Amino acid sequence: MPLALPLRRAATLGLAALALAACNNKRVSRVDPASVTDLSGRWNDVDSRLVANELITQSLSGGWLGNYQSARGGQAPAVIVGGFRNRTLEHVPIGTFVKDLERAFVNSGRVRVVASRDERSEVRDERQDQQENAAADSRAKLGRELGASYMLQGDVQAIEDAEGREKIVFYQVDAFLVDLESNQKVWIGQHKIKKYIDRRRIGWD
Amino acid sequence: MRTHITHALPLLALAALAACNGPRRVRERPIMVNGDRLPSAEQAVAKANQQGAREQQALVRSRDSVYARAVATCRGESCAYITRGEVALGMTPAQVMAATRTSPQAWTWRASGDAGVLVPRTAGMAPRDANGELVMVQFRDDRVQSLSFREPQGIRVVASPLDTVAEERTLARANALVKEGDDFLAAGDRARALDRFDRAAVLNGDDPHLQYRIATLLDQQLRPLEAQIRYQRFLNDERIRIIAAQGTANAQLAEAIAQARQRLIVLERQNAAAPATPPAAPAPSPAPVAPPAPAVQPVTVEVKVTPTPATPSTSPATPTTPPDSVRTP
Repeated sequence: MPLALPLRRAATLGLAALALAACNNKRVSRVDPASVTDLSGRWNDVDSRLVANELITQSLSGGWLGNYQSARGGQAPAVIVGGFRNRTLEHVPIGTFVKDLERAFVNSGRVRVVASRDERSEVRDERQDQQENAAADSRAKLGRELGASYMLQGDVQAIEDAEGREKIVFYQVDAFLVDLESNQKVWIGQHKIKKYIDRRRIGWD
Repeated sequence: MRTHITHALPLLALAALAACNGPRRVRERPIMVNGDRLPSAEQAVAKANQQGAREQQALVRSRDSVYARAVATCRGESCAYITRGEVALGMTPAQVMAATRTSPQAWTWRASGDAGVLVPRTAGMAPRDANGELVMVQFRDDRVQSLSFREPQGIRVVASPLDTVAEERTLARANALVKEGDDFLAAGDRARALDRFDRAAVLNGDDPHLQYRIATLLDQQLRPLEAQIRYQRFLNDERIRIIAAQGTANAQLAEAIAQARQRLIVLERQNAAAPATPPAAPAPSPAPVAPPAPAVQPVTVEVKVTPTPATPSTSPATPTTPPDSVRTP
């Protein structure tokens, strides 16, 4: 009986420590953005980067660039980003890989990118405002916009197949450049991703 | 023994069934798993950058060399054409490239004898000058003889200096629209035909026959009010044209009369100054007086002047025979 009290105290302390440990179960750490991390099997950053890398390589090595530059004395073509549709049932943020592609175009120096419809409206408002409020020598001139030769369009599609705890998801990303005058598709890029998701209850690798 | 077999049969059937509904596990080897590293696209971009810079430099060097050659050989107006980026008749191949800001890589050159032709190397990526996309440039003795532009209504050919004038270009477009309208009319699409004629009438408002065609089309489409306006416009245009033609003819007639009188005076003086003996050589023949042919000639004016050489029997005071005929039918 004299041992009952210390045991009870020890048990209480142990429970309290356990409770505290349970409360502090959050761990945050920075990881390399280039690392592959798949948790749920849905579209994630890895897919976006894979698509961006592939489209960048395909677009910058395509024959359309050489053809344009030869016909225009070495001038780089101007591209505008148009509609990029998500035709899947899940949320796919298109902007991430499209922005990667835009960045690659600009940094490569081989393609000029002009502001898209949404982006330019704000710029035009500012330019219009300058005509009234800015000093004459610092005003941005009107009618000096660069007209795009091509529009970048594309879409993402997905096919799913599931049975029990297994699931296959197939993503296909298509991107193409359309000549604004002739509607001719001068380049088509494509990337396919196939994922196998296995939700086993108990398992070890 | 028999009992064992009887018991084993259902088990075998069950096993066979299970085999039919076999495991669907995918046995593909994964190509990327958690913990792997994604390759960066920076290398691809850097490579494209270097390659692009190399290609661009080569193209710019080639273009600049052509440009220098073109500018060195240009004279007067053709230099201005190059600066404005317009291809004109009489240019050399280098000047054509300079005017289109291209290098030889953009073109394919075919030559046969003293004739040559430049066509775009890539069909869908034709070089262009300030006036439009060039489809073909034809040369004779290394000088541009004719140019062909791709326009919405088809190919427009420039083969004479007049074709390069803005008005002529507009007229050519109007004619192309009329042709397109005719095609639609032949296909039974009156609405589209009317649309093309309307657009042509905007470009070439001075053509009364176009107004007439629009009027008849509107009439056929049971649009009487618009048809009435067009008919009236056609009639007015015709009246103005007749008045203008008469005015031109009258002006030309007046000019011919003045010329004839002037010649009479000159001939009279020549006759007065001529010696009594016949001259060894005939009098210099006067320049033929022929008024320029008007675009529309409702009134024909013909002036014929035949000089009469002085004869010994003719008195110097005798006036010279007037021109044979001044007819105004």
